[in-house]
Amino acid sequence: MEWIKIERPLFTLFVALVLAGAILTASEWSIRASIIILVLGAIGLSMAVAQLIADLKNLSSKNTAAALTMEAPTLQAGRRWGNVEIWGWLLSFYAAIYLIGFLAAVPLFVLSYTKVYGGSWLIAALLALTSWGFVYSLFDILLHVPWPTPLLSILIP
Amino acid sequence: MFEAAIEGLQSVLTFQSLAMMLLGVVIGSLVGFLPGIGGPTTLAIMLPFVMVMKDPVPVIALLVGIDAVGNTASAFTSILISVPGSAGSQATILDGYPMAKRGEAARALSASFMASLVGGLVGPLILLASLPILRPLVLAFGSPEFFVLTLWGLAMVGVLSGNAPVKGILAGIIGVFIATVGLDVKSGVERFSFGEPYLWDGISLIIVALGIFGVPECIDLASQKSSIAEKQELGSGFKQGIMDVFQNMWLTVRSSAIGIWVGFLPGLGSSVADWFAYAHAVQSEKNTENFGKGDVRGVIAPEASNNSKEAGSYIPTLAFGIPGGTSTALILVAFTAVGINPGPDMLTTQLPFTFAIIWTLAIANIIAVALCMAFAKPIAKCCFLPFYTIVPLILVFVFIGAFASHFNRYDLLLLMVFSALGFMMRRHGWPRAPLLLGVVLGTKMELYLWLSYTRFGTEWLWRPGVVILFILVLASVLYPFWQGQGSRHRETI
Repeated sequence: MEWIKIERPLFTLFVALVLAGAILTASEWSIRASIIILVLGAIGLSMAVAQLIADLKNLSSKNTAAALTMEAPTLQAGRRWGNVEIWGWLLSFYAAIYLIGFLAAVPLFVLSYTKVYGGSWLIAALLALTSWGFVYSLFDILLHVPWPTPLLSILIP
Repeated sequence: MFEAAIEGLQSVLTFQSLAMMLLGVVIGSLVGFLPGIGGPTTLAIMLPFVMVMKDPVPVIALLVGIDAVGNTASAFTSILISVPGSAGSQATILDGYPMAKRGEAARALSASFMASLVGGLVGPLILLASLPILRPLVLAFGSPEFFVLTLWGLAMVGVLSGNAPVKGILAGIIGVFIATVGLDVKSGVERFSFGEPYLWDGISLIIVALGIFGVPECIDLASQKSSIAEKQELGSGFKQGIMDVFQNMWLTVRSSAIGIWVGFLPGLGSSVADWFAYAHAVQSEKNTENFGKGDVRGVIAPEASNNSKEAGSYIPTLAFGIPGGTSTALILVAFTAVGINPGPDMLTTQLPFTFAIIWTLAIANIIAVALCMAFAKPIAKCCFLPFYTIVPLILVFVFIGAFASHFNRYDLLLLMVFSALGFMMRRHGWPRAPLLLGVVLGTKMELYLWLSYTRFGTEWLWRPGVVILFILVLASVLYPFWQGQGSRHRETI
């Protein structure tokens, strides 16, 4: 069985649990604060259960196509490795911002991403410089953004 | 109204507004032909930058400029490489790409630009014509009617956002729940903030938009690793393409009208407008044997409709404060931040802003078409940019944009949470636009519900306007299920 077919009801279950949790939490508040959550939550929870049943029924069907939407094609299951790769980059960028700060993480991320996927040193360096220049000039010089202190500078003063 | 129209035009023709409009047109055109990076992603990235601006007119010029022209430039990739630059140019491929393959790319491109121009001008004209009708209607509405209207907007978006209506409505409900996070001003209750002061002010819509749209599109672009090496020549026939539109002017105008209607209905979006117009062209035109093989009418119809659709989506946004689509939902957020209040005010005290939007829609389209025609050759070359030059830059903008919403460490954490949610929604065919609209409409919905209850008790439920609107809500929700059952029944027979 394809992993995406198992993933689909799990995601719907997650949505149903979130809605149930929200209703449970809101039931302790005054009606003024909770009415919209209780009304919409009840409708949503029943729909989520119906969707979960439909997803579970589809587990045994041979049709592997995901539900189509008009806004954008569903991400392909075959691209899972590509998805994992880019999530790795995203999390690394996120970690780098915490560790070394925005101003250092931005050019480092752009340079390494461009270089790893086949860009020349010149293009990678130009893009890194441009992105750093944009962030530095707009946020640091013009807007005086209070950057969070990088974790590394706290650990190694 | 005439004075407001002149005031609106004067405000748009200042140096600052024109410069912002030009910037918007250039950005909108650039992202238009980058497959995978659509208008909503760009608007979400721009939000943190425009929300610090004090003058509303340059904000209108920039954002409406971006929104108005995205579908014009997206024809480049649809015609040259058979990849839609935006969701609104999918149908253009059917005849545009075959034309390019037989050496008529220039003709297809000029026809698409000219049709976009006609669509882009017919749209604002009809928006203008709708104002006198909308004005008395909107002024007759009270908080109960507005509550049911917000409910209808959410139901329509959920139901119409694909063949997954249950998922659409669920996404909208989750959006409303996200909107309730923070301190409730009516009761003082901390809702879903987990004792965390960061969440007392609620969740920034910018972070939600960047997470559910910006990051998943980047993930898709990066996963495809698409670097298009095949080169297409533009060929000849540039003038012929322009003539084609004049020769098929009635089709162009009809397709524009379809686009406006699709835009007016919340939730349908430009990805439907082009297909509706294409289907209409095939059904209504004579000599249809060449459709799908490179008939210029198959380019004209979708391109006229996807541009006029943008003006149509401003009708419910401006008159009722209910966004006609994802882009207008994001623009609505920016408008509110700079002091423009979509809703009845747009047809009374803020009428000059409404005219500024109408003028911007028209002027931006003229600029975009002129730019696309003048720089067709260099722009066509940009279609071949490899993914590794685009993805890291967009991700930097997404991260910076999210951080700029509060300048807080938690901004990035929330971005990652919503990115994961957006990724999973896209992976499993959950429409994401209703979630965003739920966040936008959630606060209003709750406010109107509360106002209706405190002013009228439960009596408001029996107001004639409310009853009619409730019937529309029910019909909108039940129609796709009834239609689905009907089609299954026919299949059985």
